[in-house]
Amino acid sequence: MKRKIALAAALTAALLAAACGNDSSNSGTPDANASVDGKGKTLKVWLMVDAQSGWKNVVDQANERFTAATGAQVQIDYQQWGDHLAKVDATLAGSEVPDVMELGNTEMPKYVFNGAFHELDKAQYENSATWLTGLSAPCEFEGKTWCVPYYAGARVLIYNTDLFTKAGLQPPKTYADVVTAAKTLKEKNPGAKFSGFYAPGAHQYMGLAWAVSGGGTIAKQEGDKWVGTLSDPKVQEGLTKWKEITSYSSGDKTKNEQDQSAIFAQGTSGMMYGAGWEASSAQEQPKDPNDPASAKVKTKVAGKVATVAMPEVPSFLGGSNVGIAAKAPNPELAAQWIKIFTDTKSQELLIEKGALPNATSLLDKAAAKEGNEASAQAAKNSFFVPMAPKWAEVESANVIQQMLVSIATGKATVADATKKADDQINTILNS
Amino acid sequence: MSVASPSAPARPTPPGPPAPGAHVRRKRRSSTSSGLVPYALALPALFLLFALLGYPMVRMVVLSFQNMRLRELFAGLTPPWVGLDNYTKVLTDSVFWTVALRTTVFTVVSVALTVTIGLAVAMLMRRVAPSIRIAMIVVMMFVWAMPQLVATQIFRWLVDADFGVINYLLTLIGLDYESHSWFAEPLEGWAVITSLVVWAGIPFIAITLNAGLTQVPKELIEAATVDGASPWQAFRNITLPILKQLIVIVTTLSAIWNFGLFTQPWVIRDGRPSSDYQTLATYAYSTAFKTNNYSLGSAISVITVILLAAVMVFYIRQMFKIGDVD
Repeated sequence: MKRKIALAAALTAALLAAACGNDSSNSGTPDANASVDGKGKTLKVWLMVDAQSGWKNVVDQANERFTAATGAQVQIDYQQWGDHLAKVDATLAGSEVPDVMELGNTEMPKYVFNGAFHELDKAQYENSATWLTGLSAPCEFEGKTWCVPYYAGARVLIYNTDLFTKAGLQPPKTYADVVTAAKTLKEKNPGAKFSGFYAPGAHQYMGLAWAVSGGGTIAKQEGDKWVGTLSDPKVQEGLTKWKEITSYSSGDKTKNEQDQSAIFAQGTSGMMYGAGWEASSAQEQPKDPNDPASAKVKTKVAGKVATVAMPEVPSFLGGSNVGIAAKAPNPELAAQWIKIFTDTKSQELLIEKGALPNATSLLDKAAAKEGNEASAQAAKNSFFVPMAPKWAEVESANVIQQMLVSIATGKATVADATKKADDQINTILNS
Repeated sequence: MSVASPSAPARPTPPGPPAPGAHVRRKRRSSTSSGLVPYALALPALFLLFALLGYPMVRMVVLSFQNMRLRELFAGLTPPWVGLDNYTKVLTDSVFWTVALRTTVFTVVSVALTVTIGLAVAMLMRRVAPSIRIAMIVVMMFVWAMPQLVATQIFRWLVDADFGVINYLLTLIGLDYESHSWFAEPLEGWAVITSLVVWAGIPFIAITLNAGLTQVPKELIEAATVDGASPWQAFRNITLPILKQLIVIVTTLSAIWNFGLFTQPWVIRDGRPSSDYQTLATYAYSTAFKTNNYSLGSAISVITVILLAAVMVFYIRQMFKIGDVD
């Protein structure tokens, strides 16, 4: 009962806010090159927590340059991934909205489609001609551009070099090598806790990568309808391969990838599939988990972790985009900030921190950075989720995760699980 | 919330047998404006109740007859009216019925366990030395005071497949529980959630029933024992009838609370419970806020409120009955 009321109150607050929301027309494209006197103004920016824990210096230098150019101050609010979309929805419904917002690239289409962002003049942003499609495609709608790519991350194969050497294994070059390595490692390291290949069942971008590895797709557009294609034989074959690799994992098959680097840090996993930066977080962790800025402590596997591009499996290209909220109080200042925050100078600093840049023209620079080669390599063979406006709802409704968990735990056959997921995808995407 | 305290619903004192002369006095008072004073005094409370509970409820009901999506939310448009569409959709959806059945079964099982164990603990408290009784009350107060969120996080860590102490201990005593996932089988997962809810629910019941047990006259039990009644007979024929009304109240309250279960499955499944772990409350929330079907979520909530109202009626009737006895 109490919760019903809390729910109702939250809904009402959102509705009230919607009712009082400003109706200022936001026609026109904010000019990133206009000279605006921002003295006394404060630009509000929402970034995700990765910027705070991973590359705060990039944000700081962009803010300094922005303040020097416009005189305006910047207030950054860092957001947590988890449930951040509910917060975004409630905020966008209100009248006090931030000027700039970061969203994950899989989340973006839904917001662009529903009119949450300002249109932008693509040509005003550096490297826009060579933006990574996995990032820029979610920004495009009806032939216009609504957000700017910020950074990308590719998934790679992360392995324990120590265990590989002891088992006499070489870094995998083909997918068959990966399977052999998983098998050999498991044989040489008995013990119920040991995983040849740590693979949590609900790691959806891993499952999807295997799913499309045989040339299949997740969903396709037929006319104005979307059709889930997970039950396609090619996809089923990919998922069967995925199921095989999860059988070398002794971890919880219902978990997602959230704590996989902590598990890998125990030294009881031979390989895992993760973002490039997870190789570093497996090797050192902040001493105080609540303070990303605290001193780092080395884990058991420090210095024993390496990465290679996952052979024969395309990499899911994750990442983030930044856009100007449709109700932003300072759209032109916001455009200038985004311009500075995503220019080559900022991107080069991001590369230093191990993230992938937003444009192919910068990928070679990323590949030259030690430890980044695998990610940059993997980004060249990448895939992305369907560009349906409601795809984010498929993810929010756990459709893919439930399908994968039911396959990994053996509760459903690949055929049944994919059929069920297709039905759910069809309902959500076409509702 | 008002239902949390059994004394909350204000009720005028029941008219007893009229004392001589009372009739005249009452007649005179009601003819003047002073008869409105009690109502005027109740007004601020009623206003607050309406503003805090009534208004959102009304908005929720209105919303459930519209089709509110993200676009309407962002643009501040009035959502289109769709009549009973949302209700038809919910009531014809087998997922909803599965969730409703699961919520009901959970409520029955968890309430039965909480009340039985709570009563047992209360009886034990009457038997032990006063110092032990105080220790028990203090410990239970700590359990009671612990926020649901904190308790759930702790349970989540206890049963974690990779780092959890439960798996560690079970492995130590020789069982094969290394890296065992407690949530792969929904039945096991629900056992964990139920233990958590029951554990957190016992203190309220035990302390309340312990207070109730102090009302059971010792002489009555002694007399029954002298007459040859077994402890079980004494319990069934003396203790239970005296406690009956209190038990009905704590049972209804627990049922109301547990039926609205949200925090425990939500947090223990990391904010994304799979379909096996949805309850009516999490299902309504997910529908409204995760897939932005605000109206559909509202319809689910309204149906839940109606289902709960049935239990509430039972509770309020019991409250009135107690009032009459007094």
